[in-house]
Amino acid sequence: METLVELDHVSKSYEEKAAVHDLSLKIEAGTMFGLLGPNGAGKTSTIRMMIGITMPDAGKVSLFGKPFGNDALKRVGYLPEERGLYKKMKVIDQLVFLAELRGLGALEAKRRAKLWCEKLQIADSIDKKTEELSKGMQQKIQFISTLLHDPELIIMDEPFSGLDPVNAVLLQDTLLELKKHGNAVLFSTHRMDQVEKLCDSICLIDKGKAVLAGGMREIKSRYERNQVIVQFEGSDAFLQHPAIAESKSYPGHAEIKLKPHADAQDLLRTAAATATITKFELVEPSLEEIFIETVGGRADA
Amino acid sequence: MLNNLLRNTLLIAKREYLERIRSRVFRITTLLVPIGFTGMAFLGAMSGRKLEGVQNLAILSNNPALAQQVKVALNDGAMPPKLVEVYAPATDADLAQVKEQVASHQIGGYLTVETTPGVAEPDATWISGSSINLVGKAQMESAVRSALIREQLAAKGVPQEQVSGLMKEVKLETKQLKGSAVVSSDSERSFFGAYGLIIVLYASVLIYGINIARSVVEEKTSRIFEVLLSTASSDSLMLGKLLGVGAVGLTQMAIWGALLVFYAGSAFAATQGIHGLGSLGITRAELGFFVIFFLGGFYLYSALAAALGSTVSGEQEVQQFSFILISPLVVSVVLLPYVLGNPNSTGAVVLSLLPPFTPIIMYMRICAQMPPLWQVWLSVVLLAASVWGMVWLSARIYRIGVLMYGKRATLPEMIRWLRYS
Repeated sequence: METLVELDHVSKSYEEKAAVHDLSLKIEAGTMFGLLGPNGAGKTSTIRMMIGITMPDAGKVSLFGKPFGNDALKRVGYLPEERGLYKKMKVIDQLVFLAELRGLGALEAKRRAKLWCEKLQIADSIDKKTEELSKGMQQKIQFISTLLHDPELIIMDEPFSGLDPVNAVLLQDTLLELKKHGNAVLFSTHRMDQVEKLCDSICLIDKGKAVLAGGMREIKSRYERNQVIVQFEGSDAFLQHPAIAESKSYPGHAEIKLKPHADAQDLLRTAAATATITKFELVEPSLEEIFIETVGGRADA
Repeated sequence: MLNNLLRNTLLIAKREYLERIRSRVFRITTLLVPIGFTGMAFLGAMSGRKLEGVQNLAILSNNPALAQQVKVALNDGAMPPKLVEVYAPATDADLAQVKEQVASHQIGGYLTVETTPGVAEPDATWISGSSINLVGKAQMESAVRSALIREQLAAKGVPQEQVSGLMKEVKLETKQLKGSAVVSSDSERSFFGAYGLIIVLYASVLIYGINIARSVVEEKTSRIFEVLLSTASSDSLMLGKLLGVGAVGLTQMAIWGALLVFYAGSAFAATQGIHGLGSLGITRAELGFFVIFFLGGFYLYSALAAALGSTVSGEQEVQQFSFILISPLVVSVVLLPYVLGNPNSTGAVVLSLLPPFTPIIMYMRICAQMPPLWQVWLSVVLLAASVWGMVWLSARIYRIGVLMYGKRATLPEMIRWLRYS
């Protein structure tokens, strides 16, 4: 599989503060990559180095298998964390201008802009000035402008922030569709539920360092399935089993955390002997739990 | 790479140009400024007419011969009055009647000329209805002086016609040697072009320089520049902005220029003694240099505005640096009398070669007396180089200003950026 982005031991500091320290990562074509981390972890700094807005102090950035060069930027669609559009410009003029800057011809840009506006249900606003539109509509316009030139690599910094649930789903679906097409998508976020659903691989950074990186399945498999949810009828005496580290018991429902390397099957046998089991599930830890465990439970995420 | 730069620059220039040309502000200023100037020209014409001499007056004297000579001198003068009443020898009743006429604005004033036998100098007093009329004073002075000479000549037996001939006013024509050609010169109109350049440059720097700064600040505050910088280099962004906004300024100048040519050839201008651009004291070469120095000055100051705009974070701060922006122009204007008096002095030569002062000072020198050609072209080259340098600098500042929230870039960082931009 083609590697679209490669950061090789990249570091960047502002004054004395290290924003990114010795970070390496790879993004493959046709995958969705999540860049996670608490606020101020260095997500935006990392992204800016990928697209040459800032240069790393040390390390190498490669795009599409070559050292970074401005020519590669036409194949990238970038949505910054802080959104911005020309307020006084008409929506269609704005989209055409931004697409032309990325190498598209004016006519083709106009054709695609109309298609995308219909797809994202803002075709009515195409001749309006940007400042007349609502925040959500402006967000959509910015997404379109990021995607209009059909970039192989899509980089979005906090794309879901400030979106209502309906539009968030619309954007998710769009990104998944693009991924299916073979485009690579990288986005940064601190919302774990989205990452868990969408991403093939992740990199979790904290204080500028990668603390957890790899494929989503592989990462999860590193963490033991040590949580059990049981639904039952009858006695809850099995909660005294030696494999259980802690448990919460509700009428007919129990949430159990097992001791390390405990035998869950033995617990099931014990439980089945005294009660009728309607559900017995070994749950893998959620990304959120992994995140909190790794970052150390700090609440600023 | 170069292709890319050119394409992006033109795209950005096109956007800046079209967005501005379509704006209401452009249409309003394009219309209002010529209307304002025409209004001023009309006002000037009106007040110019008032500068005529006294129209109606009375002369009171105890010396009928001298009084008669004063009347003749007035009528032969540069501004002959419509009506001159002579009361000689004048009585108290005449005086009372004349005072009455001044009070009721029938006449502008009265002149009393009293001679004492044995004394050569007469006592002359000009009593006017209005407070101060410098033209009237000069008119009366010259008439009385001329009348005294006329009387002396007549007393020596010179016939009246000959006296009038002798006392005719001499018209002195002024000409200027430009190159090898003698052209008509009028000290006021000769520098019309230079003052025109100052006004045009001053206005366009204030309007369009600030405009460019605002557009830079707008991109910074709306954060769109992060998107722009992720595709286009800051060089093409700055260059495009400069060319685009500059083209708007030039479009407006062209419209005004066309109106001026139209005005200079119009019947109204003819009543002001202007027949075509030539009579404004503007030669073709001067017009060429006008365009060169206007463009040079305009782009230099605009690039400076862009650089200043990149350093600030809000719209309000733009107002504060507008003074920094125009201060070299103000200094140029202050130094003008010195340059006019000594167009080839070391000071004037050095000033005219310093790019911020070149547009006005060098153009003024060209209008006053053509400097050596090498100096002219050197100043143009220096001006062009400094425009380029300023664009380069502003592109760097723009880029750094975008991304470093409150953090100034170090020199090595700037050098690293250089390699990629």
